[in-house]
Amino acid sequence: MSDFGINEVKWAATVSARAMVGLEQELNDADAKLGDGDTGGMLARVIGALDGATIAADADLGAAFSTYARAAATATGSSLGTLFATALMTFAKETKGRSSAPITELGPMLGKARDTMMARGGAKLGDKTVLDGLDAVAAALEGISGGSDARNKAAAAALVALDEYRGKPNKIGRARMFADATIGMDDPGMLAFAKLCGALAQD
Amino acid sequence: MKKLMNAPADFVDQALDGLTLANPSLVRDGENGRVIRRAEGARKGKVGIASGGGSGHLPLFTGYVGKGLLDTCSIGNVFEGPNVGSCMDAIKLAHGGRGVLRLYGNYGGDRMNFDMAGEMLEDEIRTTTVLGTDDIASAAPEESQKRRGVAGIIYAYKIAGAKAETDADLDEVTEIAARAVSATRTIGVSLAPCQVPGSAKPTFTIGDDEIEMGMGIHGEPGIWRNKLKPADEIADEMLDRLLAEAPKNAGSEVSILVNGLGATPLEELFILYRRAAEKLGKSGLRIVQPLVGNYVTSMEMAGASISLCFLDDELKTLLAAPAYCPFWRVG
Repeated sequence: MSDFGINEVKWAATVSARAMVGLEQELNDADAKLGDGDTGGMLARVIGALDGATIAADADLGAAFSTYARAAATATGSSLGTLFATALMTFAKETKGRSSAPITELGPMLGKARDTMMARGGAKLGDKTVLDGLDAVAAALEGISGGSDARNKAAAAALVALDEYRGKPNKIGRARMFADATIGMDDPGMLAFAKLCGALAQD
Repeated sequence: MKKLMNAPADFVDQALDGLTLANPSLVRDGENGRVIRRAEGARKGKVGIASGGGSGHLPLFTGYVGKGLLDTCSIGNVFEGPNVGSCMDAIKLAHGGRGVLRLYGNYGGDRMNFDMAGEMLEDEIRTTTVLGTDDIASAAPEESQKRRGVAGIIYAYKIAGAKAETDADLDEVTEIAARAVSATRTIGVSLAPCQVPGSAKPTFTIGDDEIEMGMGIHGEPGIWRNKLKPADEIADEMLDRLLAEAPKNAGSEVSILVNGLGATPLEELFILYRRAAEKLGKSGLRIVQPLVGNYVTSMEMAGASISLCFLDDELKTLLAAPAYCPFWRVG
């Protein structure tokens, strides 16, 4: 498989929603160490909304991503959820009018999503947020054209980034106030991204 | 933790239904019913004030919709910002033809969604933004613009709301709201956690004999945690921290809010107030319009916050102007 279309996007939403059942409390616990402890519950609701969204029969890939972006934006107003919706909206713009897209575009698309999320949320690379995981995966997917290869490379890169940043301090949000104490902890957004990439690779 | 609720997914909407049924001055509106507005709607020719935030903090945020206060308020799930659609609805429903001030706490999700809503409506409605940044424990003084908004935001609601009722223009309402924010400082202490409906665990754990100074309104870690001390010692430290950050141009009059986080009895709030009032007097500050009660809560969290709003003549006049909402009446 060298392209992805609506069926692959729907599959990814279903696998992610299923994975969230086991991840919800783990992510809540990770978030409780740094913030308000709701990341798992919020993501379970948002990804559940994606999985439950109805994609019109005649929708192109862009319209499908747009439907998902609206579903995510309606399901939450949290910062991570809103950034997720922002990424989906970027994917929608990038694939508008097309029934499928080459897997080689995934890396550049993730790179554009990273940039729009940075502009919207104000975080920078290196702050120890989901953006650092996204950046690593975007780089890892450069030139990758096979579906299985892309999923494995994404999962590995997200995990490497998670491991690398665990030893660094959080530099944004409330956690920056006790930045040294965050050394050794996973950022909940990065953790969620790595776990979901892992679920997609395993399925 | 035990809660009087039905399905967790219905928690916010059923609470909003009850709030509006019990208070005919408030109406649910917006595409998903996630905006509370004044029953009479936006007044033509008046600058609108729209706020918003996550559920779980009543009377904040929706409870402060009323004459002399907010026009509308968008509301998110428990401890989550309002979504972009409800922020757009709140702005549109607040618009009386002279623009809308977006006045809300400095949290990532709230900011992103209100920003996006403003951008989507920029061809139709002129908007400005003022962020509540009163929590002195959430960032160092040199980064005060990064601080989170907590209980002290109600001073900005009251003062900006009163200014808007005078038919001031959008820039004037925005300026006074920003002035109220920059004159206000808050610090909180927590004794016991709360639990988000549907969550398996409380938002944090703390020993039965412990207290945490500076904890955020969602249970975000604070400045220190230690054994519980006598109330006077706690009040003294809170006041010391607030007074150390008094605005450089502060006058001699201050309003104080001793706020309960949800599960702390009023008696304990008055014990704190008694000491705080004594300490303010010794510091040469005269108290104007003291507030003691549950004004900004965090579900069933036990603890309290103290806010000081350092008043100039105009802030004092606007704070005293008539206002009415279900949880605060002035005049």
